[in-house]
Amino acid sequence: MEWTQVTVTTQSESVEAVSYILNDLGAAGVKIDDAKDFAKLKPGEYGAHGEIIDPKDIPHIATGAAVTAYYPQTVFVPEIIPTIEQRVAQLKEFGLDPGSGAVTSKAVSDENWTTAWKKYYHPVRVTSSLTVVPSWEEYQPKQPNEQLIYLDPGMAFGTGTHPTTRLMLQALEMVVRGDETVLDVGTGSGVLSIAAKLLGVSKVYAFDVDDVAVQSAVENLKLNPVASDIHIRPNDLLTGVTQMADLIVANILAEIIVPLIPQAYERLNTGGHFLCSGIIADKVALILNKLQNQGFRVEETLKIGDWYGIIAYKPFSDE
Amino acid sequence: MAKKVANVVKLQIPAGKATPAPPVGPALGQAGINIMGFTKEFNARTADQAGMLIPVVISVYEDRSFDFITKTPPASVLLKKAAGVEHGSGEPNTKKVAKVTKAQVEEIAKTKMQDLNAANVESAMRMIEGTARSMGFTVEG
Repeated sequence: MEWTQVTVTTQSESVEAVSYILNDLGAAGVKIDDAKDFAKLKPGEYGAHGEIIDPKDIPHIATGAAVTAYYPQTVFVPEIIPTIEQRVAQLKEFGLDPGSGAVTSKAVSDENWTTAWKKYYHPVRVTSSLTVVPSWEEYQPKQPNEQLIYLDPGMAFGTGTHPTTRLMLQALEMVVRGDETVLDVGTGSGVLSIAAKLLGVSKVYAFDVDDVAVQSAVENLKLNPVASDIHIRPNDLLTGVTQMADLIVANILAEIIVPLIPQAYERLNTGGHFLCSGIIADKVALILNKLQNQGFRVEETLKIGDWYGIIAYKPFSDE
Repeated sequence: MAKKVANVVKLQIPAGKATPAPPVGPALGQAGINIMGFTKEFNARTADQAGMLIPVVISVYEDRSFDFITKTPPASVLLKKAAGVEHGSGEPNTKKVAKVTKAQVEEIAKTKMQDLNAANVESAMRMIEGTARSMGFTVEG
């Protein structure tokens, strides 16, 4: 898909007003470069990593500010550019310094950014037995028990390197005993379904509400021969799914796990496990509470960085 | 281990609904960030404000890991809220659509002071007032 990038050169004090003008004319957000922001950069502001900030190594605008918006093909940009120029120039009347107010535009193709980050993505040994390998890399296992998940994450989530995915892969390795039937809810790139098959489950049914994710997962399943019999289709959580399972996995978000909990309980055989991840610290109590109220027993809570994963199971009636 | 910052990216994007579409895709793809990794984290942390435009500053480290902090909502969002309107004016010098008081401007200026590049509250107020008038709001009082 083609987009038109429109950049307004301005001054720091007009950034808020220029951002409003660009959004008002149909952009879904803007990028802001402001020399004064850069002057304020200081270590420690972005987290507890003890950042090292060396201004000469960070690309930045030297003076003034620039606000950039992107318009899809449905917006005829040559028509709105005069309006942008006029409204930016008008800022003087409202007591703001718009700077040069110069407006530039150029066409950009989304291919540039969908692949740009790939060069930073390499094989990652996520657990003792699972290594995620980008489909474009050659990789030989280092140990006999090391199993490879080939992925081309494309535009769907689940590169195997994100903490939430790592939590789920660890949890899978902990609970899978072999021969289970698995439901993978919000499969994304399909990484958890493939991992489950490698670990020895018998059947996997994978779902995602997003068609793009389903397509991405289908492509990834093809990269992994073990995953050839995984069933995958678009579906909203487990709504309408009648298949019973021994294991249900969901690497989504806390807000979406909440409505899934009763569905998962209903679809699980007794003794079956429910693994969920994508939970930030301040939502853990909510999810634990919902799980327990539903009748689940929580076996373990796992944590990597700011993210949590939960292993719960459906108890037998005499437990 | 201390990490070295390789890039800093500032965006204004819809809370809870970030997608790989622009401006996220081009800004972060060029910076080497796994775009879906960012959108998932951002959407999780901003789900409570879904739909509202939120400024976010992303620091990209040399190993392509990243952190981000969200900032106070854009002045235009706070102004619309203060005035009780959904939209500003497309012709702000001739068509006025709402009004805000000087006191409201001051309150917004103080809320946003930490995130604006203003030397003092007076210059922050001038920026907020100018933004208000550029949206077709009159400032009274």
